[in-house]
Amino acid sequence: MAHSLTEDDIYRTSTQYRLWSFSPESLAAVRRKTHSLAIERALQYGAASILTAHESLRLIQRYSSLLLTTATHLAFPAPVKATAVQFLRRFYLSNSVLTYPPKEIYKTVLYLACKVEGTHMGLAEFARRISTEGEQVLAGEYKVMQALRFTLEVRQPFRGLKGVLMEMLNGAEGRVGVIDGLEDGRGVAETMRSLPGPGDGDRTKWTPPADGSVGMRHVQDRIQSAYSAARILLETPASLTDVYFLYTPSQLLLAALQLADSPLTSFYLSTKLAIESPARPKILATISSCADMLASFDQSQVLTKDERAELEAKLEKCRDPGTKDLVESFAAMRQDGSGEDGLEDEKAKKRKGAREKHEREGEDLFGPSLGANNG
Amino acid sequence: MATSPALDVPVEPPSKRQKMSSEPEFSSSPAPVADLAEQLDAQERKMYVKGKKIGSGQYADVFSAHLVSDLKRLVAIKKIKVGAEAKEFGISYDSLREIRFLQELDHPNIIKLYSVFSTKSQNLNLVLEYLPQGDLLKLVQDTTNISYTPADIKSWMLMLMRATYFCHQNFVLHRDIKPNNLLIAANGEIKLADFGLARSFADPFQVMTYNTVTIWYRPPELFFQAQFYGGGVDVWSCGCVFAELVARDVLFRALPENEINMVKLICEKVGTPTEDNWPGVSKLKGYVTPSEYIPIRSKDQWMMAFRAIGETGVDLLMKMLTLDPRKRLNAEQVLKHSFWTDEPRPSRLEDLPRKGGGVVAMGEELTKMGGEIPYGKARGDKVARKIDFGA
Ligand SMILES: Nc1ncnc2c1ncn2[C@@H]1O[C@H](COP(=O)(O)OP(=O)(O)O)[C@@H](O)[C@H]1O
Repeated sequence: MAHSLTEDDIYRTSTQYRLWSFSPESLAAVRRKTHSLAIERALQYGAASILTAHESLRLIQRYSSLLLTTATHLAFPAPVKATAVQFLRRFYLSNSVLTYPPKEIYKTVLYLACKVEGTHMGLAEFARRISTEGEQVLAGEYKVMQALRFTLEVRQPFRGLKGVLMEMLNGAEGRVGVIDGLEDGRGVAETMRSLPGPGDGDRTKWTPPADGSVGMRHVQDRIQSAYSAARILLETPASLTDVYFLYTPSQLLLAALQLADSPLTSFYLSTKLAIESPARPKILATISSCADMLASFDQSQVLTKDERAELEAKLEKCRDPGTKDLVESFAAMRQDGSGEDGLEDEKAKKRKGAREKHEREGEDLFGPSLGANNG
Repeated sequence: MATSPALDVPVEPPSKRQKMSSEPEFSSSPAPVADLAEQLDAQERKMYVKGKKIGSGQYADVFSAHLVSDLKRLVAIKKIKVGAEAKEFGISYDSLREIRFLQELDHPNIIKLYSVFSTKSQNLNLVLEYLPQGDLLKLVQDTTNISYTPADIKSWMLMLMRATYFCHQNFVLHRDIKPNNLLIAANGEIKLADFGLARSFADPFQVMTYNTVTIWYRPPELFFQAQFYGGGVDVWSCGCVFAELVARDVLFRALPENEINMVKLICEKVGTPTEDNWPGVSKLKGYVTPSEYIPIRSKDQWMMAFRAIGETGVDLLMKMLTLDPRKRLNAEQVLKHSFWTDEPRPSRLEDLPRKGGGVVAMGEELTKMGGEIPYGKARGDKVARKIDFGA
């Protein structure tokens, strides 16, 4: 089968890998840090009872879920959904819900995701369909870009899953011959017909034919069912847990497939990973732990409407007053900015002769020198 | 119609809609502490000293700049203009695409995006590799001062094809490859730039409606509005660049620049697309060809115009400009063509022709610096030290 795991090599150069991949410990540490900064601030502005880190996370999860339903309602394709949710989750790694409540930010990330993924919808229409104002949607845009550290690509498992689907179908249809490392030299198609049926907990809807004689048609159905079940896992549980932070897209899709139909996935993996490969145990363990995380998700963990209202009432009492009116501060910054920039250009002209000296002193047209910033 | 799930969200409390008075509402509140992202942004911003404006494009002004820590480390800062359209949809699609893709692509023949930062006024600034030698178009057009050889063409094309192949491996289509988007570095390297029109292979199909962009490098499948297209789009454009380098003239210079004239020219110079040479073409939505049928141009005919690159060169050119995108070579196949290993060998970077005069001197100076700024690494280290992002 042609699909190779070298996509992982390319993945390692992606911003998702470089900036947005964590170990469970490092992820927890980043969140702890952000939350404690927010508490520090909250104590300064004198908030009474402060949302706990856990409550903050649940609120973020609730809004991730809301993003999925809203995007579905607006008929946005799967990549927009996944991108929007990851934008939201990445945003809250460096920002607290106390500073920027998700009720506002989720609109911004959804519209940004829509633009980034090349799905065209005018701002006015978008705002109308989610019952808000255009300026509310845009107010947080720079804030979000900044928190995303100006990286906009979310690598997703959907294309890879489709690739595996095609490969398995090719195998089932006999377009792939014998694969090295399979113990007996039987053809792939034959091996696939004689695989054990799905395990008890597997999510696939496929069951072997009653008479037990599995033909090519049946295997094709089996593959399609596994694909559909995996896709469902990749759309919802993958968006509402931390898996994107902890695993690569290929690990994600293999984990989803494993939950969908474990014997089929084991077979597929055996064609990719030689039994004697030293990396095999580690790869399989990673896929399993990812599968565990996906499987542990349960829709009932998502806050209900009432629970959310309760948390948001609590949030209202401890939220940062300094960032309360995003629309206003966005407009103000713009205003400041144009003045400031205009002035800079003027100044720049006047200073032309003196530029070298200024530069030696490290005077930067954007602000104070690096020396002042070395804290 | 079902109600929007967004309606599920509580309305804004009226207090939030109030304007903030000029007196701070919470006079006792301390100056806000910059959050982690703000700190990083500021850190990035303070690394550069902006110099003079060196260019101005449709949606950006470009400034030269250098690192605060090293006067000799030059970069270009592209400051995105905030136009009237910002009110209509915020940060533009072009800017978002450029940032999205350049952040992912790290290749010697693709312009490097070192970082992005914003200013207080919420302007986006892209810190790019400094490429002071202009673009390939300038060399092609300057027929009085610049002469170059087939080995030079091979060298430039090889760099272009490597960049294109790398994009495709990363599932990125550039969609706007042309000589003026191929910038020249101080050391002579070619850098593919301007990813404002790029898109991911995975995106849903979108009809291209960018009137401002030249259509001379666009492949026939786009004029016929094919529902699905892929890397072949860029390979066609590369083929156009190849031909232009040899002939020192645009291959399909449709004037006036419209789609009908483009299709006409492609038919004249390559041949009329038909079911015979491109199965399924007649079913494409935008399929129209001039009534006069022109057979596929033979290799001999190509040879007459492009003899300079030899028979293998012409063979490659024809395979890059094949009408049916499924039969056209993909970027990997182009790189595996024997043209690259045939004589003459591609010119060495230092032997490639440059823009004349003082710029060359400056270019040489930069080359001596070692060309590349080991920036990415420095940035990573710095970030890790400063805030334990991911420690
Ligand atoms: N990386 C760079 N290094 C040096 N000069 C540059 C760089 N990028 C752009 N420029 C200069 O700035 C001008 C405008 O750039 P850009 O906004 O990319 O242009 P366009 O809209 O023509 O694509 C270019 O024509 C070029 O002269």
